[in-house]
Amino acid sequence: MITVKNLCKEFIDPDGSVNKVLTGIDYEINKGEKIVIVGPSGSGKSTFLRCLNLLERPTSGNIIFDGEDITAKGIDINKVRQRMGMVFQNFNLFNNLTVMKNITLAPVKLGIMNEKEAENAAYGLLKRVNLVDKADVYPASLSGGQKQRIAIVRSLCMNPEVMLFDEPTSALDPEMVGEVLDVMKKLANAGMTMVVVTHEMGFAREVATKVLFFDEGQILEENTPEEFFENPQSKRLQEFLSKVL
Amino acid sequence: MTLSERFEAAFITGDRWKLYLSGVGITLEIALFAGILGIIIGTVIALMKLSTTEEGKPTVFTYIATAYIDVIRGTPSVLQLLIMWFIIMASSNNGVLVASLSFGINSGAYVSEIVRGGILAVDKGQREAGRSLGLSTFQTYRYIILPQAVKNVIPPLGNEFITLIKETAIVGYVSLSDLTRVANQVASRTYDAFMPLIGAAVIYFVIIKVLSMLLGKLERRMRKSDNR
Repeated sequence: MITVKNLCKEFIDPDGSVNKVLTGIDYEINKGEKIVIVGPSGSGKSTFLRCLNLLERPTSGNIIFDGEDITAKGIDINKVRQRMGMVFQNFNLFNNLTVMKNITLAPVKLGIMNEKEAENAAYGLLKRVNLVDKADVYPASLSGGQKQRIAIVRSLCMNPEVMLFDEPTSALDPEMVGEVLDVMKKLANAGMTMVVVTHEMGFAREVATKVLFFDEGQILEENTPEEFFENPQSKRLQEFLSKVL
Repeated sequence: MTLSERFEAAFITGDRWKLYLSGVGITLEIALFAGILGIIIGTVIALMKLSTTEEGKPTVFTYIATAYIDVIRGTPSVLQLLIMWFIIMASSNNGVLVASLSFGINSGAYVSEIVRGGILAVDKGQREAGRSLGLSTFQTYRYIILPQAVKNVIPPLGNEFITLIKETAIVGYVSLSDLTRVANQVASRTYDAFMPLIGAAVIYFVIIKVLSMLLGKLERRMRKSDNR
């Protein structure tokens, strides 16, 4: 479904030096897979995720989504992004819009649904995350966990084929992590293709079909969750797991 | 002369109060047109200056906008007014129009930096969330970023408009009879500067005080969606 070929990303630091964040990544994500990416901070895992929908432009390499090279010139990236949902660490709900408008804005303005259809879809999704009563409030009055659940619903309302999660629970108070992970688990059980950058090892163990360990811009290790956590091969991963588990 | 006689000479004799009134009219007319023009130009210039390619590089619009801001901020507004009156629009005898254009173009440079600041103050996650849903840059600005930026720019924009009202006092240079010039003319006719000049100062003060109060009200109303 998504094929990543020799993906490189460099940032130019303010002092002019080149910071190589991703140094040649090859990977293939199949439909229905739940890929969980873990690794130390600065290893490039968020950058990798953000390259998948071109929020970051790769310096070189290709990303092929459904047979189409989305890094090619002349691709309508907005059309591609409509089929890839993204959930952010900081929720990024639109502060000037009510919860309902947050969810319906994109489907309506992009001509995918009319106002009525979008609202019905939104109510259905809000019911699934138990937040129907929040439809008409502004994001400022919600808790972190509620915001993140709404953000997931907002992406789902576009009927995406794949969902990207960029550390979705890292900005939450501990008691709210569970409610967001529950929503993600339900989504995984429903068959959604997911790519998740997270520090929640329990979630990785339970939900992932594959776990990737990123280190210094490379996929250092890739395995099923059982093997990944029970039999880590590389020294770096053993060290990492001993610190986080 | 007693104070009341001086007051009478400055404001009542020969219906002089009408002169002040028409002076206020000209001052406000120029400030209003220039203010509106400034907001339009400023928003366009700000968006131009912020424009980037998909790769994040500046565009030709960025350089045009930067040049505009540099030129306008780098020259005195009196000089810009004189250039507009004696050179660019020398064929026009509509002084209010010429002054409004000149001040509008001038104000646009300052407003553009205010608007740019207001846009940059909106969390960049808002833009990313909009784009990640498939909205275009234009749609993201139109429905998400600009509505939030408006709230940020109201206080400095009010400040700019207040400055603008007082800055119009230089239109006497191109023989327009605004409030300041009228007061000066009355002073030279009555040989008494105190009453007309202090009177004009009080009028400016009252206009701006009322405006400040209205702006405060507007700002409080705009902050409603921030309430918990």
